[in-house]
Amino acid sequence: MDKQIGVFVCECGPNIAGNVEIDMLLEAAASMKGVALAERHKLLCSPDGQKFLAEKIAEHGLTRVVVAACSPKQHGPTFMGVCERAGLNPYLMQMANIREQCAWIIEDKEEATRKALRHLRAATARVAHHAPLEKLEIECNPDVLIIGGGVAGMQAALLLASGDREVYIIERSDSLGGAAVQFEKVFLAMRSAAEMIAERAARIKANPHIHVLTGCEPQEVVGFFGNFIITVGRPEAEPQQIRAGAVVVATGFELLAPEALAPYGYGEVEDVLTSLEFERMNASGKIVLKNGQAPKSVAILHCIGREERRYCSAVCCLYSMKLARYLKDKVPGAAVTEFYSDLCIPGRWQQGFYRQTAEAGVEFVRASGARAIEEGGRPAVKYVEEAGKENSRTFDMVILSPAMVAPHDAGQVAQMLGVEIGQSGFYAEEHPKLAPVSTSLEGVYVAGCAQGPKGISESAVQAGAAAGKILSSLVPGRKLETEAKTSVISALLCQGCQTCLKVCVYSAIRYDEAKDVCVVNEVLCKGCGNCAAACPSGAARVKHFTPRQIGREVAEILR
Amino acid sequence: MIAGEKATDVLVVGAGIAGMEASLLLAEAGRRVHLVEKTSAIGGMVTKCEEVFANMECATCMVSPKQQAILQNDRIELVTLGEVVGVAGSAGDFTVRVKQRAGYVDPVSCIGCAQCFEACPVKIPNEFEERLGQRAAISVPCAGALPNVPYVDTEHCLRFTKGEECTVCQEACVFGAVDFSQKDEEKELHVAAILMATGFELLKAPELERYGYGKIPGVHTAHEFERLFASNGPTTGELVLRDGRAPETAAVVHCVGRDEKDYCSGVCCMYSLKFAHYFKKKLPEARVVQLYRDLCVPGKSYQRFCERTQEHGGELLRTPEVEISGQNGKVSVSYPDGGGGRQNLDVDMVVLSPAMVPSAGTAEVAELLDLPRDEAGFLVEAEAAAPASSPKPGVYVAGCAGGPVDIQGAVAQAEAAVAGILTQGD
Amino acid sequence: MKGARMATAEGLDRAVVDLASRALKAGAADCVLMPVEVPAGDSFAYVLVRDAGLLERARALPPVMPVQGARALASFTGTMAGKKTLAVLRPCEARAAVELAKLEQVKLDSVTVVTCDCPGAVPLAAYLADGGELPAWTGEPTARPICRTCDHFTGGGDLHAATLGQAEGSALLVPLREKGSALLEALGLVADADALAWEQEAAKLTATRREARSKAHEELAAEVAGLSGLAQFFGNCIGCHNCRSVCPVCYCRQCYIDGDSWEAPAAEYLGRAQNAGSLRLLPDTVLFHIGRLAHMSLSCVSCGTCEDACPADIRVAQLFGMVAARTQRLFDYEPGSDAECAVPLATFKEDELHEVEA
Repeated sequence: MDKQIGVFVCECGPNIAGNVEIDMLLEAAASMKGVALAERHKLLCSPDGQKFLAEKIAEHGLTRVVVAACSPKQHGPTFMGVCERAGLNPYLMQMANIREQCAWIIEDKEEATRKALRHLRAATARVAHHAPLEKLEIECNPDVLIIGGGVAGMQAALLLASGDREVYIIERSDSLGGAAVQFEKVFLAMRSAAEMIAERAARIKANPHIHVLTGCEPQEVVGFFGNFIITVGRPEAEPQQIRAGAVVVATGFELLAPEALAPYGYGEVEDVLTSLEFERMNASGKIVLKNGQAPKSVAILHCIGREERRYCSAVCCLYSMKLARYLKDKVPGAAVTEFYSDLCIPGRWQQGFYRQTAEAGVEFVRASGARAIEEGGRPAVKYVEEAGKENSRTFDMVILSPAMVAPHDAGQVAQMLGVEIGQSGFYAEEHPKLAPVSTSLEGVYVAGCAQGPKGISESAVQAGAAAGKILSSLVPGRKLETEAKTSVISALLCQGCQTCLKVCVYSAIRYDEAKDVCVVNEVLCKGCGNCAAACPSGAARVKHFTPRQIGREVAEILR
Repeated sequence: MIAGEKATDVLVVGAGIAGMEASLLLAEAGRRVHLVEKTSAIGGMVTKCEEVFANMECATCMVSPKQQAILQNDRIELVTLGEVVGVAGSAGDFTVRVKQRAGYVDPVSCIGCAQCFEACPVKIPNEFEERLGQRAAISVPCAGALPNVPYVDTEHCLRFTKGEECTVCQEACVFGAVDFSQKDEEKELHVAAILMATGFELLKAPELERYGYGKIPGVHTAHEFERLFASNGPTTGELVLRDGRAPETAAVVHCVGRDEKDYCSGVCCMYSLKFAHYFKKKLPEARVVQLYRDLCVPGKSYQRFCERTQEHGGELLRTPEVEISGQNGKVSVSYPDGGGGRQNLDVDMVVLSPAMVPSAGTAEVAELLDLPRDEAGFLVEAEAAAPASSPKPGVYVAGCAGGPVDIQGAVAQAEAAVAGILTQGD
Repeated sequence: MKGARMATAEGLDRAVVDLASRALKAGAADCVLMPVEVPAGDSFAYVLVRDAGLLERARALPPVMPVQGARALASFTGTMAGKKTLAVLRPCEARAAVELAKLEQVKLDSVTVVTCDCPGAVPLAAYLADGGELPAWTGEPTARPICRTCDHFTGGGDLHAATLGQAEGSALLVPLREKGSALLEALGLVADADALAWEQEAAKLTATRREARSKAHEELAAEVAGLSGLAQFFGNCIGCHNCRSVCPVCYCRQCYIDGDSWEAPAAEYLGRAQNAGSLRLLPDTVLFHIGRLAHMSLSCVSCGTCEDACPADIRVAQLFGMVAARTQRLFDYEPGSDAECAVPLATFKEDELHEVEA
């Protein structure tokens, strides 16, 4: 069947008409293969122009449309809308940019016209090979599974649970609260950590739409956005299957392992403890040395492991100051010295917190290479002064503030979910600036320290962000609409080499072992084209960007 | 919509990165959003940058899909040249009066061809370009601004300043888009929630004066430097001094205004290091020294960025304070040498990295909303409440309006505010 | 390294056949894949047998390589879950098999590969016409040009029968991977003899061959420089695509060039002819080879089957080997050496290929 292509050239006032010979374009278009008519209009995007376009489509029974005008970024959706309302599938329209790419940038009218002609020929040749495309609509489950019941997990749950959305928290330990259960207070307000956790835990308990499973871990995850099935292992019970539309990873952090702390004196020198150990000691009520006595001098060493890990854990400076304050409160008379390499105190009130800590009598010493050693049977801190000289000072107790790292099994959980771990060991977000809590797998979000070292407030914000993303995209009763320009793999041509699967960043391809072919999940596919580019046989191709379509377009550009 | 009826619309004040992100999510959730922006263009401070840390990606490429999405979203009513002038009511039921200044250009007819600017006889310093370039009385802030619709600046247009019957721009426009019959409009909106996303500015005078800013020609602020490097900026991306020479040496001074303000703005170390990369790109032979107190590079990726900067030849010099003086086209930066004396660094250019302060419009809107602000003027967050909430129910805060924060943090706050808004009243 | 002594008094082939028979008998293998003389006696073919008796006329190293052994493996291992196969392959065939395993075309889980030190193969067409012997290690070179510059003539399998550096009538069975050790154990053989002599001899010869290879590549590179050089090189190409059909790495069900992407309207051919003055038909000869290089050169093991199959006597293997050496060097990738090392096509490193950046 002969395609009935309608070519419409927009004058855009003098903008295009003033620098491109429109009549030449029309003349050339009229003789192109498949073109039924070629018309011009003063301003196609105007209400009058759009009406003109719609009328012509109906009048001539056009099956394809080419609009030569401005950038498709500007009015692509406009003309797609016109086609749709006129009963023509919106993907059967192609724009040729003869304004930004021709009329506006080439001074010589003849040259601009020549280029515009190439664009027009390319668009016309391409559109002849367009196929109508539809978006799919699929049912989705609005429930959410949260892995991890710490600060971030609890915050997300409280925001997400509602009358038409159930939330499941699976927590590995036997209580909610995460790392914060070990703290007495939280900075900057120095409020009670236990109260903060208890308040949230109480609200969670009282909420009939939040289900907490403690002592549980995820075992398997299948499915995709809107339709996940997670198998949860429970202690002394059969694994449970939970269906959810989205998953939030809020698995928190661990501190640098004891082996890595040995070079700093941990485990080698007496009365050297980690910050978490000190938190627990403080929370238990008695700050004492191994010999049962109260310390008269305490050193707190920042940046432990920072150089090896190649990142700054963002909270240690502040919590070290918090620990110093514990000491000033509980052990009056104790001299507290903080050794740091850079003071990391960004934000509105953090510098004030530091100032007040210093005013309370805590000594701050800028040093590099600080570590605990044994000196005369007692702990001492060896360090290099700012001026470069080596020095050492004895202390009764040395507290190490180690780097935060991802939980030891983060890699396994990531693999189970199908998401990436980044360079530093934490979960990789979709975009470091614009999408901090999404991952490249739609429907799986990450919040809190699982995404990277941060404090409680920032963790709560990220939890809120994950909730915000889920609340707006996974709406109870609303179907999910998929991307129309997705990839499709020909089962006839596919040889099952799975190269496409390996290069798909959206985990949108699965291997069908029975048929020995790869299959694209249209819900997850974003049409990025990695698979089509990687497939050596051309079995994978992206709708609307097939080799034939691109080939014809390029052939005309180059003619 | 009648006052007293429960509303579902949302008002977002400020169309920077936080405001845009929140608007898009709210629209996706099915809400109608009224996005009020004081200037004629959306995108906020990010649009001043050519590239952003830490992956040095093109800022425009990063942000323009969001801008386009805002402009094409049916549920988002964008009010540029807009201001909030009155608020009454409470959470779930606010009545807001928004004034939209006349721009005297019809956005439907205007196709953004820029013919009107070229015709305008008035030339004034362009604030978006940090006064390093000029603009006409009818203009857009910079090439590529979105929406690509100019506005008439009544403070400089001869029709308003001198009462002249100047119609040059109107005549230059073939689409009849210039319309002097437009009037400032005020409309009443009935909204369930309000998000304050009014953003920041960089500290200026008088705190910058002691660094020679305004007196010594070679001293620039961070935003000025961004515009110099920007390919759509006043020098189309050429790094030059005011006299046209290319700088051979430069000093980037961190922590400007930190003491006076008593807070660390958290992003300046990173963007200062970014500037070293800017130099490396355009003037690879230039010597660039960072003068800093503490390296503030928190989080999993920022320290590596610092390491890369040093690998590429960026120098880091720790010093508690600097003194800047200038003569004969050179700028002298002196700092304590650690032994009681002072050292001198002679450079062609000094870039100051100043503290972030709340944007000029924040105070007014905060007062209208009766929102508490701290001594520095930032909006106060609610204590022990859901993230991104202000102490006033129904009013949320995201981005630098609540305190200095980087883009990642601002976006997360915006998304968290959306969670608060969508679950309000639950 | 250590190996188990294997007597080769009746020749290497008999010794390997004996090994295979014992493996079958011991249940260490359910079937054997090995080259066998064809009934007419003038060539060889891979045969899959369960009965050792049928290996009477089998050769571990036939003088020619008609079918690439990895292709033979690919044709049946996909569905062979559970059945243990002992495959006797040339080193290049073993390496191609590893590449195909990475591309999911061969399942090596239950295959134990036995390789031998390979002195090369003689050109197939010449052998079919006049017969010939397996090339000798020294003396008059009768091996194919690609074999004369081969630097991977040793190793490659799970168990390697080393003859280099060994006394006449004796070979050393060196286990190179776990499956090789398992096979020795199943056969009651102990790897207690020192393999140093083999290692040293192999290293010496590898160095010589490497030099020859570099020199050959340099000369060829100069010859085919530029599009005109390539066009001349492929001047006689008749577009039969034999080279592709016999290549073990080319696994696609339908080659890209045979797909509909390349179909163009007649007007385009006329247009091209007009622009350039003339258009050779069938078109895109050089493009086919460049495309094939782009798709498979990273996994090319320089086995030379393509050159044997070319009816127009084009030095395909030599060209492909030269380009493959460069592309593999670009990614620091050695095909067939490590089953865990992914083909660079499917991997991305942020910090790579700076040399081709703008």
